[in-house]
Amino acid sequence: MAAKVPVERRKPLLRQLADSKILLLMCVPAIVFFIVFNYAPLPGAWIAFTNFNYRDGIFGSPFVGFKNFEFLIKSGQLWLLTRNTILYNLAFIIFGNILQIAIAVMLNEIRSTFFKKISQAAMFLPFFISAVLVGVIAFNLLNYDTGAINALIKQTGGDPIKIYSVAGIWPLIIIMVHLWQSTGYGSIVYFAAIMGIDRSLYEAAAIDGASAWQRIRYVTLPSLKPTFIILVLFSLGSIMHGNFGLFWNLVGNNAALFKTTDIIETSVYRMVLTQNNFTTSTAVGLYQSLFGFALVMTANWIVRRINKDYALF
Amino acid sequence: MHSSDLAEGVGIGPAKPRAIKLDRSDVVLRTISYVTITLFALFCVLPFIMMLSASLSSEAEIRRSGFGILPKDFTLTAYEYIFNAPRQIVGSYIVTIVMTVCGTAIGLFVIAMTGYALHRRDFPFRNHISFFIYFTTLFSAGLAPTFLWVARDLGLRGSYLAVFLQLLMTPWLIILMKNFMRTVPYEIVESGKVDGAGDFRIFAQLCLPMMKPALATIGLFLALSYWNEWYLSSLYLGSTVEFKPLQYHLYNLINTANALRNSVAGSNVSITDLPSNTLKMASAIVATGPILLLYPFIQKYFVSGITIGAVKG
Amino acid sequence: MNRRNIIKLGATILALGISANALMGSVQAQDAPTEITMLTMGNKPTNGRLEAMLEKLNARLLEQANAKLDLFYIEWADWQTQYNVQLLSGDDNVDLIATATDWLFAWENAEKGAFLPLSEEMLKANAPKTWAQVDAKGHWDLTKLNGEIFFAPEDNYTQYTNHGFFYRGDWATEAGFENGEITKFEDFTKYFEWVKATKPDAYPWDIAGANEAALTGYLQGHTDLQTLQQVTAGNYFPFQTSEADPYTVTSWYMQGDELLAAAELAKKWNDIGVWREDALNYDGDTREEFYAALTGVEQHHTQTYLTQIVDNMNTKQPGSDPRFFWFGKENGNFFKDIFTHGAMAVSANSKNPEKALQVYDLIRNDKENYMLFNFGIEGTDYIVTADGKLGFPEGYDSSTDGLGTNYWWGRMDEFELPKTSDAPNKAEIIAALDAQAKDYPYSTLIVSKAAIDPTLAAISGVLSEYIPQLQYGKFDDPAAAIAEMRQKLADVGFEEARASVQADIDAWATARGLK
Repeated sequence: MAAKVPVERRKPLLRQLADSKILLLMCVPAIVFFIVFNYAPLPGAWIAFTNFNYRDGIFGSPFVGFKNFEFLIKSGQLWLLTRNTILYNLAFIIFGNILQIAIAVMLNEIRSTFFKKISQAAMFLPFFISAVLVGVIAFNLLNYDTGAINALIKQTGGDPIKIYSVAGIWPLIIIMVHLWQSTGYGSIVYFAAIMGIDRSLYEAAAIDGASAWQRIRYVTLPSLKPTFIILVLFSLGSIMHGNFGLFWNLVGNNAALFKTTDIIETSVYRMVLTQNNFTTSTAVGLYQSLFGFALVMTANWIVRRINKDYALF
Repeated sequence: MHSSDLAEGVGIGPAKPRAIKLDRSDVVLRTISYVTITLFALFCVLPFIMMLSASLSSEAEIRRSGFGILPKDFTLTAYEYIFNAPRQIVGSYIVTIVMTVCGTAIGLFVIAMTGYALHRRDFPFRNHISFFIYFTTLFSAGLAPTFLWVARDLGLRGSYLAVFLQLLMTPWLIILMKNFMRTVPYEIVESGKVDGAGDFRIFAQLCLPMMKPALATIGLFLALSYWNEWYLSSLYLGSTVEFKPLQYHLYNLINTANALRNSVAGSNVSITDLPSNTLKMASAIVATGPILLLYPFIQKYFVSGITIGAVKG
Repeated sequence: MNRRNIIKLGATILALGISANALMGSVQAQDAPTEITMLTMGNKPTNGRLEAMLEKLNARLLEQANAKLDLFYIEWADWQTQYNVQLLSGDDNVDLIATATDWLFAWENAEKGAFLPLSEEMLKANAPKTWAQVDAKGHWDLTKLNGEIFFAPEDNYTQYTNHGFFYRGDWATEAGFENGEITKFEDFTKYFEWVKATKPDAYPWDIAGANEAALTGYLQGHTDLQTLQQVTAGNYFPFQTSEADPYTVTSWYMQGDELLAAAELAKKWNDIGVWREDALNYDGDTREEFYAALTGVEQHHTQTYLTQIVDNMNTKQPGSDPRFFWFGKENGNFFKDIFTHGAMAVSANSKNPEKALQVYDLIRNDKENYMLFNFGIEGTDYIVTADGKLGFPEGYDSSTDGLGTNYWWGRMDEFELPKTSDAPNKAEIIAALDAQAKDYPYSTLIVSKAAIDPTLAAISGVLSEYIPQLQYGKFDDPAAAIAEMRQKLADVGFEEARASVQADIDAWATARGLK
């Protein structure tokens, strides 16, 4: 892309405003949107330090200091939620990218356009599905009485598995569902990157007598590195945020599974909606924002020191 | 982009165009690819097939032997129930379609406009505004304060607007759009300026028409988020509206036996006589169908859209 | 995009804005009559009977108070969440709010400020009959928080709402119980085993979602602990006192071995397969399943048994001989109705709180209004039989023709008629309950919860993690789980909260000279 940036001289602010008033105006709807729905509620996080009631309002309610945080730490819940949220995200990032790259590399080996199109469409299908439906599908596959998996086990004479009581297998299930839903979409990105690789590199590799494996090892994978790094960094930015819809619709209120499935979002939702507890939930939310913010800033700082091009900002 | 990476490890001589010969490793890789892709594509589609076949099975068979690949004891009973009392589902359809169409159109327009302005290198405030928007992904007030703000202060509880407005845009989509804009040569902007066109006209008349893949991609993301919405509906609509958005309606059907009966009200049956399992599946199919049908029409744009957006990110 | 398209788009946005406005603010302040909206629980009926009744009722209300009544329903789907969210939202379209201290979070919402404090003057001026009636019984104290009245209790309606198991006498007889009578909580093991073995279509006890009865049912019958209704932690009541020592606060979650015994019994039941394996993720209508012989036990309270279960079972499962085992039957450890099992509050955001009270007073105390609102239009919704019972007209089907006002927030004994659908053994059951039941001793106790609120929230978090698993027998080692739970409860300050409630009880008991 040819750079034709006009030389930027420091112009007086008023002049800048006047010159770019149309562009500014074009940003106004979005700015208003984020002010109304994201910035305006921010002061409400003060609830985390109060014993909130609506009569006195957010700032009139009795101040309780760090009491709401204290309980979270004492009960060990904050640690559990942090651990689960981060570990799930790491698993999603690691397994997700590996699988997406693998699928993309394999798609590249497919010569039949028809097959490629059909299989891509099929893999893309789960991406279109609402979390509600994902939950329905999972329940009907996994439940004890009529679940497809247990039906299969029974038909083959085995003992059905009590999937909804065993917390230990849920990380596996949730990771699989996540991969099921996101791989088709993610692999398109990598596939596109592969398509962008200079064909002559492959030809050269062939001339040098590289096998298919060497070709992948020395041409394809290195070319995917930038895409990989960008995608990983981007997902690291939301490492403290979980996919609420997925977890809630898979697990719901099943306390037997919380040890391995409860993430910050589900816990906050339950606190607010089933326990009527605004204060502790806001404390969790505030912690999530602050901790996540610190994580992203640190990661960005480190990345910036290693390679400025990859830094998020 | 980072072409130095590509060369690593492979001694590249001058490219000599020559047909690549298949050696044994190529055949093995290709076979593995076809097999794996086929299996994974099946894995992605299988749950849908099971759902479809369950919705076409008889309730008794489902209760006895669970879900299968093929309909057991084929019947259309479940669909008859839905379409005998279509009021609820038709109402939900209308609500969801209106929200999806309007939300996608308006959201897309605002996102494109903002993305365009933020991309303009001669726009002095672009970094500030970009950070202003990006910041909201790092820091949020949390569930309870946001709810209190939107429901109590804005008074939007019980209004479709609460759902409609909050889904209009996300920081991520704006960043994506900004990246897309890079594919529009800057000369276009320059030439527009030379012709004396205002900033908005350059955007609307010169840039937008070149952005079809981007608009299709972001449009699909928006449409999906509207179509698959259930969470905001559960918070802000609940039972205040007669017609719930489709996925929230489905959420209630799935999770509450009573809701299932109400949705087929008029049919004079006890809940234990309802084919509840197959009815749930049929409702799920009916609620998901249309958005799936959308995909083939925009697949072409969509794939190239993701490609540009992500790789050049 | 050419200019015309841009104009089109602009027009679309404009049109949407206009329709959005129409969506948002349809309620305009009108001079007269005043519209009063009552929040109630249930699914809004679609058979047209409600509207027909409201038309008649509103004609009367218009005359009596220049007001009109409308109902707003919190549907049963996800009702606990939706009830709290609705109150949290501060919706000013709702004036009267149905509530209850034992199942509808009345105290929590009063404390959070969702309800308008009702002054004595306001009540006397706008709801004089309600004021006088409740006052005569001395029951306003039951609705006070920090000295202020927050709702009107349904204190003049005789009912038992103590919980227990409905089971089938015919099955119990076959299972080997004499006369089909089960007298002990743990004896249900035998009944469940029999159902499991002989009724392949039925679950011995099909439960949906979190339901603490498997534990509390045992605890009530095996301890003399009585639950303090005033203090809730989420869905749980964390504090009890004992009958022997009624002024010392304790907790069956924290003290004693009974919780373990209850959990072990639950585990045994789980191993038998008493409930479905995925009970925690299941939300079915188990009442209907009981009617369809798909579950051996259904769990709810006396009132339900007397007014619905017996009648329905006799028609839908003739010969099933529906029985009721109430929790605490072994030792008489249960209370009479607490008077606030149903109550009516005024929304803190109501624009017409006085009018709302007037309407409530008229529904509660004017016989004709009361009959209309509760039972509908005579002749089409109900009939009065020759022997003075309330029955239904020919061809009436209660499953589709219900009026559905669900008015459980201020019924009055003097306007109620015996119903043709009442259980024939009603008098017997009531007599048996009367003989055993205790009066709730802490009606006038006021617990100051502001200081312990964060602690209660934390307790709720711990309990809602452990109790559902204990109640469904999901822990391999219940003893270890209980120890772990107790440690966590202690960590989050259970003792501080207990001590605070204890101080309130001490002060209350001293002031009344009880101690």
